[in-house]
Amino acid sequence: MSVVDDEDATLRERLADEPVPALRVLAVVAVLVAVEFGALANLVMSLPWDAVGAALPGFLQGAAATIAGVGDGLAGLPTLLSRSVIDNAGYQLPSGEWVGTFMGLSPAAAWLLRVALIYAYGFVWLLVGWWSYLVYRDNYRHADWAPVDDMVGRFRNHSWGLFGLAIIFAFVVLAVFAPALGPTTVDANIADPYLHSIEYYSEETGGVEEIYVGDANGESQSRGQGGENVGPMQYDQYDRFHPFGTLPSGKDLFTFMAAGARVSLFIGVASLVLAGGAAVVFALATAYYKGLVDLGIVIASDSIQALPQLLVIMLASFVLSGTWLANLYNGGVVLALLFGLTGWPGLWRAVRGPALQVSEREWIDAAKSFGQRPSVTMRKHMLPYVVGYLLIYASLTLGGVIIGVAGLSFLGLGINAPTPEWGRAVSAGQPYVATPSWHISLLPGILIVIVVTGFNALGDGIRDAIDPQSDVETGQQDQTAAAGGGA
Amino acid sequence: MSRPGPERTATGLAGLDCDPGETLLSVRDLRTYYESGDLIGGQPVKAVDGVSFDVKKGETLGIVGESGCGKTTLGRTLVRLEAATGGEVRVGDDDVTQLSGEDLQAWRRNAQVVFQDPESSLNDRMTVGEIVREPLDVHDWGTPAERRARVRSLLEKVGLQEEHYYRYPHQFSGGQRQRVGIARALALEPEFVVLDEPVSALDVSVQAQILNLLMDLQEELGLTYLFIAHDLSVVEHICDRVAVMYLGNVMELGPTEELFEDPANPYTRALLSAVPEPDPTAEIDRMTLRGTPPSPRDPPQGCPFSTRCPVKIRPEGFEDVDDETWEAIEVFRETLRARSRAERSLSEQAREFLGFETRFATVDEVVEELFADRELPGSIREPVDRATDLARDGDEAPALDHLREELGSVCDHEPPAAHGVDATARESRCHRHDDEYEEPAAVGPSVGDAE
Ligand code: SF4
Repeated sequence: MSVVDDEDATLRERLADEPVPALRVLAVVAVLVAVEFGALANLVMSLPWDAVGAALPGFLQGAAATIAGVGDGLAGLPTLLSRSVIDNAGYQLPSGEWVGTFMGLSPAAAWLLRVALIYAYGFVWLLVGWWSYLVYRDNYRHADWAPVDDMVGRFRNHSWGLFGLAIIFAFVVLAVFAPALGPTTVDANIADPYLHSIEYYSEETGGVEEIYVGDANGESQSRGQGGENVGPMQYDQYDRFHPFGTLPSGKDLFTFMAAGARVSLFIGVASLVLAGGAAVVFALATAYYKGLVDLGIVIASDSIQALPQLLVIMLASFVLSGTWLANLYNGGVVLALLFGLTGWPGLWRAVRGPALQVSEREWIDAAKSFGQRPSVTMRKHMLPYVVGYLLIYASLTLGGVIIGVAGLSFLGLGINAPTPEWGRAVSAGQPYVATPSWHISLLPGILIVIVVTGFNALGDGIRDAIDPQSDVETGQQDQTAAAGGGA
Repeated sequence: MSRPGPERTATGLAGLDCDPGETLLSVRDLRTYYESGDLIGGQPVKAVDGVSFDVKKGETLGIVGESGCGKTTLGRTLVRLEAATGGEVRVGDDDVTQLSGEDLQAWRRNAQVVFQDPESSLNDRMTVGEIVREPLDVHDWGTPAERRARVRSLLEKVGLQEEHYYRYPHQFSGGQRQRVGIARALALEPEFVVLDEPVSALDVSVQAQILNLLMDLQEELGLTYLFIAHDLSVVEHICDRVAVMYLGNVMELGPTEELFEDPANPYTRALLSAVPEPDPTAEIDRMTLRGTPPSPRDPPQGCPFSTRCPVKIRPEGFEDVDDETWEAIEVFRETLRARSRAERSLSEQAREFLGFETRFATVDEVVEELFADRELPGSIREPVDRATDLARDGDEAPALDHLREELGSVCDHEPPAAHGVDATARESRCHRHDDEYEEPAAVGPSVGDAE
């Protein structure tokens, strides 16, 4: 606002007027995208597009397949922070020298370096997001002050909420960069271990030998007793590094966890988009129209809530287990649908109160009095007051969904084996909890607790940020009111 | 719909283009009932129960009354925020309560509201500019650039500055926020504006500024106001004519000056006598009338004011009963009414049924207290005893009916018609204006500015 004189200028004109700050942001974003383009494409392609493709009519399926091919091609592009650039796979010669790893580092060091760089990369994205908000606020927004500024300010001072944000950030990076973060890949180590092989230095033959991953896994099992255990931060006898140790089958637990994070995040987000979307639409409609609409949805949601959610999901996923639906994304799509369909009543109840409250405000009457359309009234005059509450409850619910999916997988329902899912790791490690192989159950369990806590903390932070009650006495309002000039 | 440009002339409804002083709106027997919250049965709330009046172009018509008298509902019905249950609101040949489609949009463009509470009437998440612009966007008024220019000129017109366009309501005081509300109401150049207690939520020091602004704008733009208020001094200051509402009815309607100087209706007189003169902030709450207004779910059958009227007409044959005894009878009826209205919990009903004490005094206690040391003539004693018997069973309705039959007057039986009370086309609804009874002014204490 300071630079642009013409108060009427639209955002486009203001951008054209003073392009430098925006271009700077854009340049940084472009660089960030360029170095990791393959990884981003990989993330996009990892979503269950089969589900979409299968739903398309025949002639479109061809086109979809072409696009999928292009997408897969892009996903294969080299990226900066990938396994192939910073490789942690190799073998150690008797001399202590490492062969095959990045710059001859030990696999542990190479892996740690890659992890650190990936998290640094993610953090830069976070900073860029914050920076572009600042650039927009200071350069392109007309209003010197907006209510959202206060919310952001309150959140910035909310250490518990920031803690939650940090946890969720770490979790999301783990999910997004899962293929690059694991010391090995799901493909090679978990899904098709007998189609891949590794090299190692054999003391028996005194030379470098090749072995199937499957056979190597057989020698690196964690089964508690009898010295069969590869614990956290240990190497197995084929010089493979296991940050979290191995599973009872000898597969790498960290790789398993990273891939599982992706599945959990997908199910959580997809089910909440579904449930949250339904909840908001219903809440706005019931608050605006009240009466019979409200009654109908109350009855529908009560009927759903009267059912025990997990039991219904178990039953439904069992019933659906033989169908094509159950195979989409290894069962993830079914779970997302089920959690979404059974989850909206809870979210709807949570946001119905705020929606009803805002529907009583006189600005709704004002909008009606000059003939605003109901849909616009709901979107402009009600939604902004409801969406914050939705975020709070969504982040609380997301933790619940992750626990629910883990619980179902623990019971052998839910995600089909061998696709990684945290609950299955807990289940696999259960017999070994009291043995040296305690890590199999405990590490995933701890991660689940931390992630769920993180979502709860984030929800608390958002609540305190949007709740104007929490800064009634800061004097901010008086100050700004004074700036407006006397009436 | 055609795109009305900045130089719009036609209002879209023929009746709105009349000349100043002509009738803009004529309200006839308008009724607005709310369905009761109960799912089954229940009486509707008769918020507006048959009012008739005209609004002339360019005037300010005041609507005064206690809270709950239906004045706000009346205003909301006129701008179609509530659906009328019956009656009509004529604008030329159109009935506003029946409009739909384009005609309704035309009415919405020409009838605006300024709300009471500026804290609640502006969306905090929109800038002032967006708020004032929204009506223009809805009605597709001019080009976007023209709309922004119009918003700026409106802001200036209501005493704000152009650079307030990009501020949020949070950054303004109550008075400034109300100015924003006024700018929004005026954005579409309406003909008719309902001012719903526009200053009662504001600091006293700011009230006068806002009122002066409203009067200036009316003069400049030729607006017609319906000014709803409970503050009589404000009404006296700003209104050309005043309608006094009680329990969904207009009791008296006439030019402000005459009405304040020489109120004709007993209710108006009670209202005005309650205002201590020198204090401009006085509210009607200080009125010292017996009892509380009856429930709008179950209004009295005769005159709406009959349950509290200090000059209610006595039935024939009872003119000689002394005032205190007669007052005791009215109190007895009021007590029964209050009891019949009180919600009784199931356990209280059970206690009553079993003869235990409840928080309600028994009917006999009430009768004892009211009539113990009084000599009642037989013509009164008999109905009172009979009513006591009836009410003892816990059901007051038959008791009340009996009392009304035996001791009720014309005030209890027939709704009063409107009587012209002076040369200025002032109307008042009271049986005392009939020739056979004495005028209210003759029986009550003297009230009004004239004394
Ligand atoms: S009609 Fe009777 S009760 Fe009503 S105001 Fe007149 S005197 Fe009072």
